[in-house]
Amino acid sequence: MYSVESLLDLIKKTPLTKPLRILNVCGGHERAITRAGFRTLFQHNIHLIPGPGCPVCICPEEDIAFAIHLALNENVVIASFGDMLRVPIDCAIDGCDSLIAAKNSGADVRPISSVQEAVSIAIGEPEKAVVFFAVGFETTMAPVAAALLADLPNNLKVLLSGRLTWPAVAHVLRSQKDTFDALIAPGHVATIMGCEEWQFVIDHHDLPVSISGFHPESLLLSIHALIKNCSSRVITLNNSYPEVVKHHGNSAAKTLLKTAFTQVDAHWRGIGVIPRSGFSLAAKLSHLDVTNHYEPIDSSSRIIQTGLKTPPSCEQVILGQMAPDGCPFFGKECIPASPKGACMVSDEGACRIWYSTGERSVIEVIEKGNTQKVEIKS
Amino acid sequence: MKGIERNNRASSEPLDTDTIRLAQGNGGILTKKLINDVFKNTANKELDLLHDAASVTFAGPFLSMTTDSFVVSPYTFPGGNVGALSIYGTVNDLAVVGATPRYISTAFIIEEGFSMTALKEVVHKMHQAAVETNVAIITGDTKVVPKGFGGGVYINTTGVGDSQDTPIWDTSLIRPGDHVLVSGSVGDHGACVLLAREDYGLHGQLKSDCASVFPLVNAIRDLNGVRFVRDPTRGGLSVLLHDVATETGFNIELIENNIPVRPEVASVCDILGFDPFVLACEGRVIAIVSPDISSEVLTHWRGIKNGENAQHIGVISKNTDLKGRVSIITPMGGRRFMSELEDEPLPRIC
Repeated sequence: MYSVESLLDLIKKTPLTKPLRILNVCGGHERAITRAGFRTLFQHNIHLIPGPGCPVCICPEEDIAFAIHLALNENVVIASFGDMLRVPIDCAIDGCDSLIAAKNSGADVRPISSVQEAVSIAIGEPEKAVVFFAVGFETTMAPVAAALLADLPNNLKVLLSGRLTWPAVAHVLRSQKDTFDALIAPGHVATIMGCEEWQFVIDHHDLPVSISGFHPESLLLSIHALIKNCSSRVITLNNSYPEVVKHHGNSAAKTLLKTAFTQVDAHWRGIGVIPRSGFSLAAKLSHLDVTNHYEPIDSSSRIIQTGLKTPPSCEQVILGQMAPDGCPFFGKECIPASPKGACMVSDEGACRIWYSTGERSVIEVIEKGNTQKVEIKS
Repeated sequence: MKGIERNNRASSEPLDTDTIRLAQGNGGILTKKLINDVFKNTANKELDLLHDAASVTFAGPFLSMTTDSFVVSPYTFPGGNVGALSIYGTVNDLAVVGATPRYISTAFIIEEGFSMTALKEVVHKMHQAAVETNVAIITGDTKVVPKGFGGGVYINTTGVGDSQDTPIWDTSLIRPGDHVLVSGSVGDHGACVLLAREDYGLHGQLKSDCASVFPLVNAIRDLNGVRFVRDPTRGGLSVLLHDVATETGFNIELIENNIPVRPEVASVCDILGFDPFVLACEGRVIAIVSPDISSEVLTHWRGIKNGENAQHIGVISKNTDLKGRVSIITPMGGRRFMSELEDEPLPRIC
């Protein structure tokens, strides 16, 4: 076993002949990396690059628009994960360009943190139509699948916007050859789907992978494993989260996902359509699909373009091509209180994380050698 | 009648006796009954006289005065309710400028339909807090607003206290090298109210820290070298320290490992994606003091109730490149800035 100190020491001392570009694909990882201050600790040629791993950031605008429309015009309760509420869209539905705007203008939009809360709302208020806005990756979708396959109250419907992680990573690696040297894979997704799902990164892209948990210690183990891989030119699939991640994953959860959903081509905000990357309700659950119960938005009468187009740099940030503060709008027109792009909204969005922790500024100060050592005795 | 339509007023609906009615705020017989039933004999003889104004003695030579409104939702939470909070909050605002809290006025705005039993409980806790903190509630007002125009019960207070001097502590006294101290764990009240407000399906031992900070402040009031004292309420540690950093132009450097956060608060934050440093406290003090008296302040605090977990959490830095910023040395030894409070916390997906 390594101690944190020895891992930090090993990472700092491992010789690297060229800059090492490590892509992380999970907003939770980016948050942990930034909050631990990793970028201020390592050699300057270790680059930790945030990728497309925030389900809030990549949720397509058309799904958010439909949720706003339902909340405003169909007299339904929208039960949505809290961080979806502030995500802006490029058009306004009856003057509302986010779910929080719809809530502020009187619509019944409720922030929740689990599918069970949506079910509880529907059971507790049987006279109301409740729509659960189901956004998330495999980890979130597995408990959603379990809930949908159980007996649900008749007044609960689902607006499904679930996505699979690995097809997006495959897309990023395929479309940007020679941009990354290693991958940190999401531990919570691997808990469900297994280590084996990430073998394709080695087989098809010749890059080492490490599956990581969300505490800084687990990330340090991953970074150390990847540095070792790159310096010794031995490419392996590393599991730095073995206490919960198994090779084949969680077979019960995988069965639930297969039973409740089918895989379909799906739209990712900022990326486009990625083949077989989305969840769709299985035929036997189609009665839960909100799109079978409500008409689509009447585009001619209600949608008004706000003129605040999502910046093209959002796509580059999501794809790991641009650091968040490389965007010309970062911290200027685009701030958490009035985001222009989705990455500035969620706590898992790279721009929001970098903005709220001043990520780049700290590095610049350290590079200038102006930091002071402070010792405190408690 | 022409031009006049009859509305179905909410107040015309039958109401049970445990429910506050609009007419109980009209100044007539029902208002008097409400005052007699709920407020009388819960404070002191000045209030019970029911005069239009209270006349009281005053030690001075200076008078410190503060006002605040308490609109917490829900009105009750583990560790307190809006009544207790209104007294502690007012007392604390006086205490942190070095005053001895003496008198409080209260104005209740009650929403039609609010429970009489709940109102009595709010007033009871208020009375208990006033007795505990040795302040007298000497004048009050009650209004009832129609259903839908209020959030249950709101309380506005004004508090006055005796001062020996004009505010004795100020950010202008802060110097590089000064130590930043906190009297106890941060984020307890904010985390507790968030869980009480929304049903996140989480249960635990969370309890608000709402309490008077007067004993903590009083214990260090006469020490030479105390520069600045304030209670971190809305926006928690982050808002307070960012205010100090902005006002002084200095960098504040914190050691994350030293900032006390209760394990249950840390767990809630971990699960829901909240930052404990932006969550409110209602019974904590931040003191910025000269390094010479830092240990003495901690010793005093650790010997007092609610000061047991007092910690030295950081320093005022000379770093001119980070002027006006609050930076954190992480448990790993890395660096980042403390996040500023931007909007209401909402639970994240994963």
